Amino acid sequence: MTATIDAGTRRVTTAKAISEGIAQEMRANPDVFVMGEDVGPYGGIFGSTGGLFEEFGSTRIIDTPISETGFIGAGIGAAVEGLRPVVELMFVDFFGVCFDQIYNHMAKIHYESGGNVKVPMVLMTAVGGGYSDAAQHSQCLWATFAHMPGMKIVVPSNPYDAKGLMISAIRDDNPVVFMFHKGVMGLPWMAKNPRSIGPVPEEEYTVPIGKAAIAHEGSDVTVVSLSISVQHCLDVAEELEGTTSVEVIDLRSLVPLDREAILSSVAKTGKLVIVDEDYKSFGLSGEIVATIADTDPSMLKAPVERVCYPDVPVPYARVLEYEALPTRDKIKAAIAKVTA
Amino acid sequence: MSETISFPEMSNDPDAEGVVATWFANTGETVKAGQVIAEVMVDKVSVDVEAPIAGTITCLVEEEGTAKQGQEIARID
Amino acid sequence: MVDNDTRVDFYRQMVRIRAYEAALQANYHADKTPQWDIGAGLIPGEMHLAAGQEPVAVGLCANLGKDDAITGPHRPHHLALAKGVDINKMTAEIYGRDTGLCHGKGGHMHLFDPEQHFSCSGIIAEGMPVAVGQALAFSRKGTDNIAVAVAGEGAANQGAFHEALNLASMWKLPVVFIIEDNDWAISVARDTATPIKDGSLRGTAYGMPSQRVEGNDVEMIYEACKTAVERARAGGGPTLLEIHTVRMWGHFEGDAQAYRGDELGEANERDPIPAYEKRLLSAGLLTEEQAAQIKAEAEAEVQAAIDFATSSPEPKPSDAYLHVFA
Repeated sequence: MTATIDAGTRRVTTAKAISEGIAQEMRANPDVFVMGEDVGPYGGIFGSTGGLFEEFGSTRIIDTPISETGFIGAGIGAAVEGLRPVVELMFVDFFGVCFDQIYNHMAKIHYESGGNVKVPMVLMTAVGGGYSDAAQHSQCLWATFAHMPGMKIVVPSNPYDAKGLMISAIRDDNPVVFMFHKGVMGLPWMAKNPRSIGPVPEEEYTVPIGKAAIAHEGSDVTVVSLSISVQHCLDVAEELEGTTSVEVIDLRSLVPLDREAILSSVAKTGKLVIVDEDYKSFGLSGEIVATIADTDPSMLKAPVERVCYPDVPVPYARVLEYEALPTRDKIKAAIAKVTA
Repeated sequence: MSETISFPEMSNDPDAEGVVATWFANTGETVKAGQVIAEVMVDKVSVDVEAPIAGTITCLVEEEGTAKQGQEIARID
Repeated sequence: MVDNDTRVDFYRQMVRIRAYEAALQANYHADKTPQWDIGAGLIPGEMHLAAGQEPVAVGLCANLGKDDAITGPHRPHHLALAKGVDINKMTAEIYGRDTGLCHGKGGHMHLFDPEQHFSCSGIIAEGMPVAVGQALAFSRKGTDNIAVAVAGEGAANQGAFHEALNLASMWKLPVVFIIEDNDWAISVARDTATPIKDGSLRGTAYGMPSQRVEGNDVEMIYEACKTAVERARAGGGPTLLEIHTVRMWGHFEGDAQAYRGDELGEANERDPIPAYEKRLLSAGLLTEEQAAQIKAEAEAEVQAAIDFATSSPEPKPSDAYLHVFA
């Protein structure tokens, strides 16, 4: 169910919205618990579990050893026996040490069992760069996860969606990978876009998994994006108001992917820009273009512009990293090119 | 009735300067008693600041601006 | 037994490392004001410093030569400096300059010096299988070079640790596994993550000689490493050393460390450098003047490295696309 935002709705950070969503579900359902590294008193390295340890204690907010295969596997086991764990993989980049548990077990058990076994688990993880954390701590990788069947994937760009998607994820009987970009968390120790703070209703509410949102209506060009890039696209769309009418689609979920929303917007505008901080090739942006090509390529009046992370590892030096990131300038240039 | 909100005393060093990292309410908005209105930081430790009473808030320090501990940072009327 | 000249050299090396970490700490924070922003300043990104862990690096590397390999963790500076990595190029890399070891591509967690066979990684425990591979190569080439894998006590709970130990033992490879137990894995205390008090049992479990070294004493660490290194060189296979040390500062710079409580102050009282200085002074191996001079020289060398870094050019933006493939 949705909840209304009015002028009196208090504003919180995305980090707080996530921890509040978890807290409300934990109060309602004793089967929900949290596991991960530094999720306890520390509150999560990026604030995703702030305040939870103080309220629920160490039996339900569990600090684990550095054993991702061990504790993600343990989450799977607890889920198949009816509990509803929320397990944090500290950085998505660490999936390498535990991906078998994720893609071969968490994602496949329901299918392999002919639908007889459920894995109602949330795997939440921090993604993204822009603050010089270099190649092993700055990746997005949602396309890599989306490519493997059997796990839902949600990627909020703002506090309201973050809380609603977390509650939906916990209630979903499927494994849901909840990917939060560090740059949208609204942390006081990392440069933040004001859109990382926003109105969030105090009561519980859900945001549906698998439905995109039209973050900014427009008619000249469709810009499809997700996560922190939505914030950049909205900045650009507002700047271009009066010159170019930009429609920004916030995907919010990757699996299921709201192909209908993409198609109906491109049918309207005929022009498509995709903005994605994940690596360009063999990924999300290609999947979006394929969706159009599979359905009706004639709806495109110009070639597609893909503003994505290039096919290079993330470099450390700021000047190098920002050469690669999909920045506002690149988004503006892409919009100008397709609407020329 | 009106009340001022001061930057909390957070550090052992009373002269340590802090930062108002984030405003959650803007000047002119109505806030409730107990509502978190700001996140402030001193020496990398951050805390939430709550509105003591309900009313209309006036923010006295810019976001990401510095303030001394004990300095007035907002007023609620 | 360590001779007197070596003891003074141990002291000098530890002072050099501490001067380096202290200077990086000061510079890292200096331009992140007034709002502390992890991505801002001349040294952006994460920073993990090893104050307190100097004895491990110095005691270990005194047994190693240029052609011995080390794979290190996300907290690598003490190991790099003790190993002999060029301080100027290392500093330039940390400052993201073109003159850095990796032309600004890697940064502080990804320092690669092929001449010294030194590398480090930001993924916990993942350097351990790599060291096993280096040992495999040395063994096949018939040299008496060895590989050393250094990781923290938290890493001993990661799968790669167990697989690396098992392989090294099964194949009797010339590798030494060093676990730096500094009591904390970010905010998680060792005794809430590891059920055994003596982690050297894990090496025994994989069929290799193992030892836990208490005291954070550079000379005792040197002796323990000497036995392990000589064993590896002589074809005697791997050793696990769990070395109890101390993390005097945060896990990362910016870590408020509220989770440590009073232990933080107590840990800083276990600073190994003043303790070793006191021993050398009372043994008559060092005078106060000499100690002051050693400190001044270390600080000057560190400042010169920082000056080299800050006066070096940044890489060209288009360099971001280079070196994906050879």
